[in-house]
Amino acid sequence: MVVKNRLINPGAGFVRTGLAGMVFLVMLLMSSMAMAVKYDVVPPSGTHTGEDVPQPIEFPHDIHVKDNDINCMYCHTYARRSKVAGIPPTSKCMGCHKVIATDKPRIKELTKYWEDKESPLWKKVHDVPDFVHFTHEKHLKTLAFDREFPVEDIKEICAFCHGDVENMTVANKVKPLNMGFCINCHIANKDLGAPGDCWKCHK
Amino acid sequence: MSLDNILNHWSDYRKGAEEGGHHDYEHRWAMAINLDLCIGCNACSTACYAENNLAVVGKEKFERGQAMHWMRIERYWDQQELEHPEQGASFLPMMCQQCGAATCEPVCPVAATYHTPDGLNAQVYNRCIGSRYCSNNCPFRVRYFNFYSYYESSWPEPMEQQLNPDISVRDKGVMEKCTFCVQRIRTVKDKAFMEDRSVQDGEVVPACAQACPTSAIVFGDTMDEGSVVSKLWKKHQVERGVYQKTKLAKKDADLRGYRIFEELNVDPSVMYLERVREDI
Repeated sequence: MVVKNRLINPGAGFVRTGLAGMVFLVMLLMSSMAMAVKYDVVPPSGTHTGEDVPQPIEFPHDIHVKDNDINCMYCHTYARRSKVAGIPPTSKCMGCHKVIATDKPRIKELTKYWEDKESPLWKKVHDVPDFVHFTHEKHLKTLAFDREFPVEDIKEICAFCHGDVENMTVANKVKPLNMGFCINCHIANKDLGAPGDCWKCHK
Repeated sequence: MSLDNILNHWSDYRKGAEEGGHHDYEHRWAMAINLDLCIGCNACSTACYAENNLAVVGKEKFERGQAMHWMRIERYWDQQELEHPEQGASFLPMMCQQCGAATCEPVCPVAATYHTPDGLNAQVYNRCIGSRYCSNNCPFRVRYFNFYSYYESSWPEPMEQQLNPDISVRDKGVMEKCTFCVQRIRTVKDKAFMEDRSVQDGEVVPACAQACPTSAIVFGDTMDEGSVVSKLWKKHQVERGVYQKTKLAKKDADLRGYRIFEELNVDPSVMYLERVREDI
């Protein structure tokens, strides 16, 4: 099972304008389709039925991701540079919601938190045990950035472990995130450098 | 990788140290401890307690030999015939020697202790069933067993706030030992990975080496020819895999390096530099 076929160098032709540019663009597109590389990472398998986690505000992931096409890493910005993906600070929410959809009840609730100078106490949905060393940054570097995976489609990588968040409202745990889930993926992707050493994750 | 190695290549895994150990190493972390500089202040031991969430067991359990000090200072009197202050106290920091051909590893019934590609003896706490074979087979007596659950008694509020999140708090029935501060190694390696470079010498500093007021402890990678620790090993002619070193050159004051129980062919990763005495 592989993710979509990927073009090498997406977006290389965008700077060119005019007819000649268009022709060149079409040719480039065709040629790059011919040498399209298979994205050869084997995604982990397994499903899980997580309990609903009641959040202080019912955050709709679907509206943000599917309808408005906001990148996962716009809000979960620490994913690419630290161990944890992080929950955005309220200031990030308010950056948009000072002007967008201010009349909606959930945004009013959020604005109230903001004006009271308090944070909504978001609950953690995806949690691994304390004895596990897991880093988002290394996974993203190996799975996406080093392989020139287009960053606008990063949600496909996130979906490996977080499921189809774009169709969820409040995030729910749909992957088991247990040792078998991790280790099977690491064994399947051994050739890509996925470590199999116990002490890489156990601490 | 490692578990594969244990299960499928047992004979390779137990290859003697003189044949270069059991697999291709990425790093071989090692130490050099200069006993001439060691003043026996126990700072290393204290730092270890703080860094590695070690339980403080109290006097009573200490007397029963149930202390959890991964790093201990052993005290010796070099000149016992003399009066007390002149007896020539000497100190030796003792911790897991991260043997290349460790005796603890093959006796573990569940492979909870194994050799990592970094040349360390790993202890996977979740896998450990507490058989204590490893501890009984260790010639250095540096493995410590959790006879009790220490969580509440050892870290009364608010002391649990100082627990290191990078290493787990072990529970009752689990064997533990010095890891060469694997959490620090891991952090440095992660950082190097993110920056697309290799780990530089001096980047990884274990808590004991960091706390040592006289810089008696030097830590580094012996695979890296330029590292301070491999230069020291070379200078004092201590080599991995060489276990019956001719001590003929020992009279030479410059060759002070030795490894404890070298003759057992366990290939320890810690080199000690003998203390220099005026009258020897």
